[in-house]
Amino acid sequence: MQLFLEQLTNGLAVGGIYALIALGYTMVYGVLKLINFAHGDLFTIGAFLGLTLLLSLGLTDHIGPVAGIIVLALMVMGLVAVIGALLERTAYRPLRTSPRLSAVVSALGASIFFQNAIMLIYGARFRVYPHDLLPTTSISLFGVDIPVMRIVLFAASLVMMAGLYYFVQRTKTGTAIRAAAIDQGAAKLMGIDVNRVIMYVFLIGPALGGAAGMMVGLYYGQINFTMGWVYGLKAFTAAILGGIGNIPGAMLGGLLLGVIEAMGATYISLAWKDAISFMVLILILIFRPTGILGERVADKV
Amino acid sequence: MKKRLLLTVLAGLLALPLLIGQAHAQIRIGLMAPLTGSWASEGQAMKQIVDLLAEELNNAGGVLGQKVEIVAEDDAGDPRTAALAAQRLSTRGIVAVIGTYGSSITEASQNIYDENKIVQVATGSTAIRLSEKGLRYFFRTSPRDDEQGLVAATTLKDMGFGKVAILHDNTTYAKGLADEAQALLKDSDVEIVFFDALTPGERDYSAILSQLRARAPEVVLFTGYFPEAGLLLRQKKGMGWDVPFIGGDATNNPDLVSIAGKEAAESFMFLSPPVPQDLDSPEATSFMAAYRAKYNDDPASVWAVLAGDAFNVIVAAIKGSGSTEPDKIAEYLRTGLTDFEGLTGTIAFDDKGDRVGELYRVYKVDGEGRFILQP
Repeated sequence: MQLFLEQLTNGLAVGGIYALIALGYTMVYGVLKLINFAHGDLFTIGAFLGLTLLLSLGLTDHIGPVAGIIVLALMVMGLVAVIGALLERTAYRPLRTSPRLSAVVSALGASIFFQNAIMLIYGARFRVYPHDLLPTTSISLFGVDIPVMRIVLFAASLVMMAGLYYFVQRTKTGTAIRAAAIDQGAAKLMGIDVNRVIMYVFLIGPALGGAAGMMVGLYYGQINFTMGWVYGLKAFTAAILGGIGNIPGAMLGGLLLGVIEAMGATYISLAWKDAISFMVLILILIFRPTGILGERVADKV
Repeated sequence: MKKRLLLTVLAGLLALPLLIGQAHAQIRIGLMAPLTGSWASEGQAMKQIVDLLAEELNNAGGVLGQKVEIVAEDDAGDPRTAALAAQRLSTRGIVAVIGTYGSSITEASQNIYDENKIVQVATGSTAIRLSEKGLRYFFRTSPRDDEQGLVAATTLKDMGFGKVAILHDNTTYAKGLADEAQALLKDSDVEIVFFDALTPGERDYSAILSQLRARAPEVVLFTGYFPEAGLLLRQKKGMGWDVPFIGGDATNNPDLVSIAGKEAAESFMFLSPPVPQDLDSPEATSFMAAYRAKYNDDPASVWAVLAGDAFNVIVAAIKGSGSTEPDKIAEYLRTGLTDFEGLTGTIAFDDKGDRVGELYRVYKVDGEGRFILQP
């Protein structure tokens, strides 16, 4: 029982990160029907920008670790959002009326470009976040020791997801995003500036992905230029698992994938962990081809 | 006027092969190394060391009265590129080749060198099968995985551990080493409570650590590479679990400590051939001094130093046999070379071309993050 609870918390912690990244895939797909393959690399960029800003500004020394990290997170989110919007402008918008395949190839190209750029700027070696930044205390719940930082990170990802959900469901821009997701042409006729909506999507998704990258850097310490590949693949899986294009689906899919991985590793086989996750994905796609929550940006409130 | 210029250029071009032919009078030794790709840092260090040793040798008059020239070719850490590199080197009049680092990369080049009768001395390729093929011209200065497995098993037994967990990462090297150690431990009264693989490249290994802890091993043998080892140590400390970890030679990298943090890395142990810093033979000390003078740093990787040893044994074989005939060089390496003082200790080769003698040492990380050679 103790092992089960421990693995549940392990799985939820990883799943929270997957969910944050999955939101970027799912929002872009929801509006553009495009898989943004460069999204995993935006996550990596978030991790590296976080490290650069942390080391060069020394914010945590000036205004304390908590405020410092929050300011840092906001800066990283802002910068990655700008990169995301630029990516849309240069790599996707010119191809919007071209066949779907061109945009996919362009996305793959952008991914390779980002990866190489990060390698050339930061080098191929592993980079490491400072070690003494976060407290290492843990609390005991039902006989399971959970590091406090893990709870904080999980809570932070939940807050960001809830914020996004509120934004999409309750604000005017959110409504416009949902409208554009349902039918771009009709949305245009209703006076919605679709280009603007798409830009918002490419600001929000990368911001969340960049934040996730920084969180991974802060908590796990080690980052390198290829880290976006594994996380991107997992988050993409999570988005499909929950129903791609569906925002609550991405959240659910991320958390579920994290837990499936942890449980599969414990009760079936460690080496087969990834195979088990993908087997679950295949099963769900066979019996429920649109994913668990269905394929659409939620248009019911 | 223009015509004359053209003629001069043409004459120059025609004379070029003659000039190259002149250079041919030197003894050419090939170096196949991953100068680009994911192991580029290893390959570049290999080239630096071999260049340094060749320069020293030439300043001292060369070998057999001839200068030595290093012909380097990039294998990019990739088997296909390695096959091309081997083809190219084979046409460039080399008497022997140094390299390379990865086992699968070496394997792709072995037969090409063998067919062209070129002596190959590999430097970082530890897979067992490489020397089991019975190739006449193949040697290596690095140890074999089964030797490391044996050292791992003996170390674990000597330290008196009763319950051992073995974790690998499914790469050829790590799986092979884990299998070797498991087979050797099974014969003794050591109980193996866990044997499985993690997925390299991830960040969160807490699910694996939780599961390991549930099996209550007295020690964990991790046979994978340093990035994962660093994360495992860090996350193990985070969960407040206090179990000793022992790693294989792929964890011998200073980045391990920066990933794990000094506190979490403290008292981590690993097996590895000794780095020259830890040897007090005159060869090792003078090499270290020369390296520092030229590159203003210490060689970080032992695998690059083993490339230096490969260069030294090739030169010793040319000198000892008094010839650049591949058959004579290979014969001398096999039988004539005994107790040769290399940079990483004494070198001699057995019939298969494997290095003889115990090369592995046990290292332990101290509180300052330094790798301390254990007595």
